[in-house]
Amino acid sequence: MKFGKRLKQQIEESLPAWRDKFLSYKELKKLVRQISSAESCVEYGKADAEAEFVHLLNNEIDKFNVFFMEQEEDFIIRHKELQQRIKRVIETWGPNGTKPSEAEYKDEMAKIRKDIVNFHGEMVLLVNYSNINYTGLAKILKKYDKRTGGLLRLPFIQKVLQQPFFITDLVSKLVKECENTIDEVFPVEQEDEEEIVKEQREAITIAGKGIFRNTVAALLSMQEIRRGSSTYGHFSLPPMDLPDSDLIHSFQLNSPIPIV
Amino acid sequence: MEARPALSIQRSGASQLSSLGVSGGLSSSLSIPSTHLEGTYQKLPDIQQVPSERELTTRPQAHATRVPTNNGVVGHIFSSSSGFSSDLHYSSVLPNEKHSRNSPFISQSLADTASLPLSQSSSSLLPQPTIPSCCNKENSGSWCTDPDFLDFPVSTPVQSGQVENIQRSEDFSKQNDWQEWADQLITCDDALTSNWNELLVDNVTNLEPKMACQVAKPCTTMPAQNQQLPSPSVESLRVVNPSSSANNAPAKPRMRWTPELHEAFVEAVNQLGGSERATPKGVLKLMKVDGLTIYHVKSHLQKYRTARYRPESSEGSSEKKLTSMEEISSLDLKTGMGITEALRLQMEVQKRLHEQLEIQRNLQLRIEEQGRYLQMMFEKQKSGLDKLKVSSSNPENPAATSDATKEAPTKSELESSQRDHLDSGTGTVNNAKSMLERSSREMGGEDMATEAGDLEKTKARVSETSPEQAAKRSRIEE
Repeated sequence: MKFGKRLKQQIEESLPAWRDKFLSYKELKKLVRQISSAESCVEYGKADAEAEFVHLLNNEIDKFNVFFMEQEEDFIIRHKELQQRIKRVIETWGPNGTKPSEAEYKDEMAKIRKDIVNFHGEMVLLVNYSNINYTGLAKILKKYDKRTGGLLRLPFIQKVLQQPFFITDLVSKLVKECENTIDEVFPVEQEDEEEIVKEQREAITIAGKGIFRNTVAALLSMQEIRRGSSTYGHFSLPPMDLPDSDLIHSFQLNSPIPIV
Repeated sequence: MEARPALSIQRSGASQLSSLGVSGGLSSSLSIPSTHLEGTYQKLPDIQQVPSERELTTRPQAHATRVPTNNGVVGHIFSSSSGFSSDLHYSSVLPNEKHSRNSPFISQSLADTASLPLSQSSSSLLPQPTIPSCCNKENSGSWCTDPDFLDFPVSTPVQSGQVENIQRSEDFSKQNDWQEWADQLITCDDALTSNWNELLVDNVTNLEPKMACQVAKPCTTMPAQNQQLPSPSVESLRVVNPSSSANNAPAKPRMRWTPELHEAFVEAVNQLGGSERATPKGVLKLMKVDGLTIYHVKSHLQKYRTARYRPESSEGSSEKKLTSMEEISSLDLKTGMGITEALRLQMEVQKRLHEQLEIQRNLQLRIEEQGRYLQMMFEKQKSGLDKLKVSSSNPENPAATSDATKEAPTKSELESSQRDHLDSGTGTVNNAKSMLERSSREMGGEDMATEAGDLEKTKARVSETSPEQAAKRSRIEE
């Protein structure tokens, strides 16, 4: 049940548009329980039950694929647009631009920085989405095999590994490119005291807050999920190495759900 | 109607092959899918002999010119079913009742790869009699294609080249051939099942899950998954990908865009005078990418326009709505830092998450790789055991037999454990792994033992550092 709870937490913390795109872990677990208890039922033989189960899993996979690829497409577009935007700002208001203006430049750059960081965050969350759904699938399959004595897990998971939603290479690449861009765009150390104070007073529309929360939740969830469990085995992931874990824990603010 | 059983078989077969580009046609007429099936079925044996992906992917290129002409023919079929085919992608609310009937074939095929006897997959075709009732009950046509549309591409690695062949062989008059095919299916042709099995086993790397251009996807993960296909072909394959989507594209195809494709798109748009003035048709023509449909371009153009003209809102749109309450609480944390610092912090956390995700993913891949490898060893051991039994009864080579007898206990141990535990899934692998390690060492085959040891070492390393790191001071705190 631990994973189910973790998943639910993450879903709740996630961006609203994403919430119904996650794995229906609970429902599938129920189905597995049903199948294993109804094994003796003649009418719904084992092959049929397995077929139904596989069918549902495939529906889920399809859901992931569609969502993932849609998001990915958006990211590709936005990534390019960000690059263009940066170029435009530099060329217009930069020191060597057509109408150099330090104020404008700083202003625009600040906006860009915020947008890049949020963009980066969203992409990472998509990778997380992919991963958590994969983990859920792997767990459900393991449960199924355990309960019904089936041999579904191994071949099915091989298939899952080939699915578009699991192949996150492109998004990861975009993430890295974003990180490079950020290094260029972030001022090395230009913030002087008064500026910091001024910025504090401005409405810190940290639109990224939602993303930030989600990210923190995701990280901590991951850590929790991978803590050694009773069913730890050869196919389980080892405990996570998360430096600054305490700091990250402290980011959980006013969370209604005790994350323990 | 005596045609009914044949109809149902055909529909089930057709639905299984629906991903190959026939999904739209089923509800409209019989003749169309029949020839598609016939074309496909005939092609299957051909595909068998073309294992290399490179060869396969050149097929789309070879047949690319055919695509436009076929699309015209195919288009009208699909348009009639555009309504339901949209369900294929976007509805998770499918009529639930009898979907599973078709999947026995698929799940049995899956089971095949897990080394169950072939006969099982043959027999799974027979339970089809239940399908006719389903077929007739729900005549919408959508249910037929839905489960298998989803199942089929996912479970059977149909090549994009294969899709091409189907498109080419559209010949609406070969009904008798279809009959033959149906008969063969009913009689559980061994060749067919072995073909399927081969397809499943050999071509795992070439899965074409959706109509999405997936040919390159397995390629990109090649290095990670130790596949034997060359990665230099990735870039060209990515561009070739779109060609596969066109052939099996109904009204709402699922295509996977790449940055390169997008650049070509942007270029075309700019040539046409910008995103507002460019039309999907114009862009499509300019891009000259095989397999790209106007639908793809249209939706992409829409996204592009949104992204351009509302850059901030489109990027932050979802989160902005939910953060007004959280802003206040966030100030507690981020007061004392400038925005830039806050952003830096956010960035660090995000980077951290991404790092961990990559590590986790690699581990997951390796774990499954191990599992697959062990499975393979199982089967090798098993066949090795059988051979051993044969050879030990003919002591022609004294040296060999003495070795054999020495190792026989270990191997028979293994065999019995296999028999006992074959049904217990993962547990087997754990037991067998240690046994295999022992036996492989004895036989001098160190590779597997080291493989197993390797993964354990990696796992240990990852978990070891955790307690130390947790105590480390954050480098973000300054």
